[in-house]
Amino acid sequence: MIWEELNENLVFESLDAKSTDAIFEQMGRKMIDGGFAKESYIEGLKKREAEFPTGLDLGEIGVAIPHTEVEFALQEAFAIARLKEPVSFIQMGSDDEPVQVHLVIMMCVKHPHEHLEHLTRILKIIQDTNTLKRILKAKGRSEMIHALKDKEMELEIEAIRCQDTPSIRA
Amino acid sequence: MKKKVIVACGGAVATSTIAANKVAELAKANQIAVEICQIRISEIASNLPADLIVTTSKVKRDYGVPLITGMPFISGIGIEKTEQSILNVLKG
Repeated sequence: MIWEELNENLVFESLDAKSTDAIFEQMGRKMIDGGFAKESYIEGLKKREAEFPTGLDLGEIGVAIPHTEVEFALQEAFAIARLKEPVSFIQMGSDDEPVQVHLVIMMCVKHPHEHLEHLTRILKIIQDTNTLKRILKAKGRSEMIHALKDKEMELEIEAIRCQDTPSIRA
Repeated sequence: MKKKVIVACGGAVATSTIAANKVAELAKANQIAVEICQIRISEIASNLPADLIVTTSKVKRDYGVPLITGMPFISGIGIEKTEQSILNVLKG
C-alpha cells in the first residue's frame, strides 16, 4: 500500500513553490537524493508534464500526479506535497485548461504494470473528497500519512468484501 | 453486431487502461457487445472505422466518429453524464 511505502522524507507538509517547475525541482530533488530516481528525473518531470499534463480538477480541490517515463526511475516511490499556495497546472486531457492545485502526488515509476495499480489506487484515494480534505487539514506529516492509511484500509476491506460476494459486485 | 470502441491516450497506457476497463464494464452492465481497441492517439486513424472513440488525452482531429473524453473516469467528476453519452452512442 502507498502509505506503507511512503518515506517521511518524501512527504512535504507545506511546499513553498510558485510554479510547476519549482515543485518538480524540490520534490524531484528529494527523489534523486533518496536514491529513487536518476539525476535526470527533474528534467523528465518537466518534459512529461509539458507533453501530458497531470492536473486534475476534483471539484473544490485540485490535485496533480506528475511522473516521468520509466527510464528516469531507479525504484518505485511516491512523494506527497501540500502546497503552501495553490499552483496552476494544466488539466490532464486538455491543452490549456488550468486548474489550481493544492496537493501533488508524485510517482517514480519503474514498472509500468505496477504503475497502473498505483495510479488506480491513487485515483480511488483522491476521488474521495473527505480523504482529500483530511490530508489537506492534517496537522503534520504523520497525520497526512494516517489519512492515506485509513482510506487504503477501507479500500482493502471493500475489495475483500467484493471477492466474498461476487453477486453484489455484479 | 459488436460495436467497436477505440480507447486512446497519448503517452503511457495507464489512463486509457482505466478508461477502457470502465467502458467494458459499462457495456457489459447494459448488455451491449463491444470490441475495445486500446491504442495510442497516433494510431487512431489506422484503426478506423469505429463506432466510438474515448480518449484521455487531447485530440484535435475530427475522425468522423463520435469522440467522448474519458477524463471523468480519471477524475471521478461527471462519470454518470459520460456514461450516458457513451451509452447513447452505443445504443444508437
